[in-house]
Amino acid sequence: MLLQTLVTGLSIGGIYSLMAVGYSLIASILSFSNFAHGAVIMLGAYIGLALATKLNLGLGLVLTGGVIGAGFIAVFNERIAYAALRHRNAPPLYLMISAMGCSMFLENMVYATIGSRLYGFPEFFKRQVVHVWGSSLSLLDVSAFVVSMAAILALHIFIMRTRTGIAIRAGVGDMTMCSLMGVNTDRLISIVFFLAGAFAGVAGIFLGVKYLVYPTMGWVTNKAYIAAVIGGLGSLPGALIGGLILGVVETLVSTYVSSVVRDIFSFSMLIALLICLPNGLMGRETEEKV
Amino acid sequence: MSSRDYLEIRGLHVYYGNIHALHGVDLSVRKGEIVSVVGINGAGKSTLMWTIAGVLPIKSGQILLDGRALPSRPHEIVALGVSLVPERRRLFSALTVMENLVMCAILRRDKDGIASDMERCFDLYPVLKERLLQRSGTLSGGEQQMLAISRALMSRPSVLLLDEPSLGLAPLIVESLFDTIVKIRDEGVTVLMVEQNALQSLEISDRGYIMQTGEMIINASSQELVENPAVRKAYLGGD
Repeated sequence: MLLQTLVTGLSIGGIYSLMAVGYSLIASILSFSNFAHGAVIMLGAYIGLALATKLNLGLGLVLTGGVIGAGFIAVFNERIAYAALRHRNAPPLYLMISAMGCSMFLENMVYATIGSRLYGFPEFFKRQVVHVWGSSLSLLDVSAFVVSMAAILALHIFIMRTRTGIAIRAGVGDMTMCSLMGVNTDRLISIVFFLAGAFAGVAGIFLGVKYLVYPTMGWVTNKAYIAAVIGGLGSLPGALIGGLILGVVETLVSTYVSSVVRDIFSFSMLIALLICLPNGLMGRETEEKV
Repeated sequence: MSSRDYLEIRGLHVYYGNIHALHGVDLSVRKGEIVSVVGINGAGKSTLMWTIAGVLPIKSGQILLDGRALPSRPHEIVALGVSLVPERRRLFSALTVMENLVMCAILRRDKDGIASDMERCFDLYPVLKERLLQRSGTLSGGEQQMLAISRALMSRPSVLLLDEPSLGLAPLIVESLFDTIVKIRDEGVTVLMVEQNALQSLEISDRGYIMQTGEMIINASSQELVENPAVRKAYLGGD
């Protein structure tokens, strides 16, 4: 029972981590909270749903399509709604407001075109279970966890080892200097948004498969936001750990206390953390900028 | 001294926010020269450097490199060989020394060339080789300046812009820094620098400009500037 709860928690936590990674990537490079991220997750889920139901594709191709589609949606979102503000050196608050507008726009576009119906994915895993140490674990939960961890590990390697990764880290420190090194910062920011969107796509599809697909499903990013803050906004390992902690704690609370108090507990945790540890568990120490 | 102007600025007007920071600046640097711009704080020296590098937009006027107007975005200007070492260096402090060096060669695809240029930097500054995997934020001020200059050299510039390179460095280190700048010029790089440390920078320069409230008020050979009593009194901290 405990193992089962733990795996469920880790699988939800893994999805939170995927979403939190997107928040953190964008927060670290542009210093604002991209509240349109939830809408990208939702659109990723709809793309996956269309591929699964209209084209009858398998999970692998559905994920690939969702990743690419959501990645490009995030890039377009940045180009249309944020780039003009960035070029005028607008303060981050303006970007955040623009992001909120995008989020409402995209959700209402889906209401207006596809409608408010709830859709379910075809049963990719047919309630399959795997047996480990006497517990029966849902194959979906195990896959969600494994895929999220693999994706985050791949991202970590990309950021630490490749030239583009070095450029992203340099841009996090000082975007102007990054451009003086010859980096096209508009392109760099597009790459970051593509990565964030791609992760949103994976998260959206797993959420859709696990629960349902509907226009406001992206609101679950509130949780991802908590996860990112727990770990330290802007830190990738922080997003990973914050997501897993939140997922496991929530599942434990719903199982052993009551699912009614779950969200109360999560948001209390956010407030307590902001008071006691405002930089999060692994937040970057604020570096002196002269 | 070769004859034609390599970097030429004509009638440059620039606003820094609402402040009219440059009022029609004219300046020229010939190929292979070291030219210093001297002036008190707030004269617009840094604004001039950031504008050449493409970070600040031009209101009117022209910046020409080898007779052609520079493009408007910083990464396009670097690609043409104009590299800025800004005031207080602005290294990527969270990145290692190695990563800082890789960053500035990011436009280049020639792996061998990059490796040999890195060796050249280590010849210039052996201490950097010992610090390769250290985060650049943990280097001493002098080492950071070495890294900042190496970083600019890694992009193989034809024009090196130095903004207050001696700021915050100990006198002994300043001396070796200026020796290095001469060495870099002797390898064929054209140098434009702004300095508060006016006397020392004019000593290694071919020509100098004196800048005051956004304008170039005097343009002469370094020797004339250093020997001019009025200039000495007003700008060079002399008697």
